[in-house]
Amino acid sequence: MAPPATSGPVSVGIANLPNQRHKIVSRKGASYNIMVVGESGLGKTTFINTLFTALMRDYKRPEQRFAKQLDRTVQIDVVRADIEEKGFNVRLSVIDTPGFGDYANNTDCWVPIVQFLDEQHQHILNHETVPNRKTDDLRVHACLYFIQPTGHTLKPLDIEVMKQLCTRVNLIPVIAKADTITPADMLAFKDRIRDCISTHNIQVFTPAVHSEDEDATRRNTSILAAMPFSVIASENDVQVNGQTVRGRQYLWGVAEVENEAHCDFKKLRNLLIRTHMHDLITSTHEHHYETHRVAKLTASGRSDDDPALQARRGFEAKMKEEEAELRKKFTEQVRLEENRFRQWEQKLISERDRLNEDLDKQHSLVKQLEEELEEIIAARKR
Amino acid sequence: MASSGASFKSGGARRKATKKGLVFTVMIVGASGCGKSTFINTLCENPVILRKDHADAEKAAQLKTIGLAPTTVELDEDGLKLSLTVVDTPGFGDNINNEPAFEDILGYIEHQYEEILAQESRIKRNPRFQDNRVHVLLYFIQPSGHSLREMDIEFMRLLGARVNVIPVIGKADSMTPQELNAFKKRIMEDISHYKIPIYDFPYDEEEDDEETIEENNELRSLLPFSVIGSEDEVVISGRRVRCRQYPWGVVEVDNSKHCDFSKLRYMLLSSHLHDLKDITHDVFDDDDEQD
Repeated sequence: MAPPATSGPVSVGIANLPNQRHKIVSRKGASYNIMVVGESGLGKTTFINTLFTALMRDYKRPEQRFAKQLDRTVQIDVVRADIEEKGFNVRLSVIDTPGFGDYANNTDCWVPIVQFLDEQHQHILNHETVPNRKTDDLRVHACLYFIQPTGHTLKPLDIEVMKQLCTRVNLIPVIAKADTITPADMLAFKDRIRDCISTHNIQVFTPAVHSEDEDATRRNTSILAAMPFSVIASENDVQVNGQTVRGRQYLWGVAEVENEAHCDFKKLRNLLIRTHMHDLITSTHEHHYETHRVAKLTASGRSDDDPALQARRGFEAKMKEEEAELRKKFTEQVRLEENRFRQWEQKLISERDRLNEDLDKQHSLVKQLEEELEEIIAARKR
Repeated sequence: MASSGASFKSGGARRKATKKGLVFTVMIVGASGCGKSTFINTLCENPVILRKDHADAEKAAQLKTIGLAPTTVELDEDGLKLSLTVVDTPGFGDNINNEPAFEDILGYIEHQYEEILAQESRIKRNPRFQDNRVHVLLYFIQPSGHSLREMDIEFMRLLGARVNVIPVIGKADSMTPQELNAFKKRIMEDISHYKIPIYDFPYDEEEDDEETIEENNELRSLLPFSVIGSEDEVVISGRRVRCRQYPWGVVEVDNSKHCDFSKLRYMLLSSHLHDLKDITHDVFDDDDEQD
């Protein structure tokens, strides 16, 4: 084959590929699935509503709390919305987990969540070989784990659940209700959480730091340094110095949601939407989905080698088996024959002995007769 | 039998009060991170409970047992000496399965009653015997903003039958005033719906005077008490204030507009101390003796 003609400094238009991609993506839109996990009362619903500046989820109705039975299970609630900004559409799904960690005995409360995550991966896996592959993709792209602002360290429930989740989904730990902790305490708390996470080998989502853009690198480093993110959420607007901001109005001041000195909400929002949304979506497909796929397929006995090699290996294995069996049969036969010979030998020996005995008997009889004869002859002579 | 025992006790108690000062035992229960230890230190104005060492990440995942450790502090309340014993319960509510913890705490409380009973039945009583019966139990509720959780309901119901239980909202600086009022209302609704026995400042319509009735009503309306604790003192406009400093403002512990800490402290250590003790001795102890 002739080598391809090298192109000199002539622009063919390949550099236009990103623009084409941009057009395709902005026409197709994206589907984005976020899951929130955490005990009730940590501000998950408020956070989701603040993040998308829209009432995504209704708050729990307190009047209904006596009506329902405490059935001690964790439920999976999916809320869908179509969001549009500057012509770009996103099919957003928010998955909530009410009942998680709310009971006195929380053993295995993470099982429904883990099952849900696995089911989504399995659903896509099953659809790989089906003729019509278009299906709803509910694989979770980002899982926000809400940590209680105790100020101490992670609880055993947090550690156990994060271990289970981090292998199946992009896990982002978040410190909820951050306006409970003073700044100095918050730094110490984050340190301890990071320590805990690394000691227990929990793989949280870490965005790649280096990129060609200086700004981006700096932004990524600051994002990484702030993990786990502390958030304050509010849907109410309050007046601060004549400006209207989102915040929580206390008697002693206003805790602002978008103020970087108060909490990391802005950083988290940038991560989730502005800068790393695509990262999260692709890493879910390329990393977590692939992990699931490999695990499931090797478990069902398939492997990567091509058929001829596999057949040969199978054949060799069969040969070895047959050889071993023949050998066994052979030794068995030999043993049987030896036994037979031995028995024959014994019989011959006993036969010989018997005959010898007979002979001896005859001999002694003959001797006796001879003696008698001599006596008779001796008696006659006299 | 019970009445003669009571009169003997009250006479002896009065003598003890003038000599040694009052004796009072408070138990604090609640999930970790609610501000219990800070509250105790703020109440006693001394670092009574030392900070737990949270630096060990390995230990964070392990099963925790409740460490019930009484600590005694000598306080001076308006010239009256008070020997306050505080029982903290670190580790409560920390584990994945928290049901065994209930039994531990109930066992401790019952054990104190049994000890007293054993002491009183002896022929030769030990004069230096310390009465460790728990006079009041402060149950810390997490400031979720929703309503009582299953663990709260079960626990308060179980222990309200054996000891005075007062529900308290810890870390109250995480809620705005409207949220706090709504939360308090919902908790009281829960308490009446699930029929949880708590100490709700009872008064006698006929016997008590107007002032007492008014006071009790006011305190009852504040239930559950919202507390903020802090051991840090800062000088603000010339005076030393215990507070928490945030980038957006300063929360003062002793400011009754910010939280109910000062009212709770006054109620516990001054105005209702005797009432709580009497109920413990008469009502709960009698139940025990009749068993």
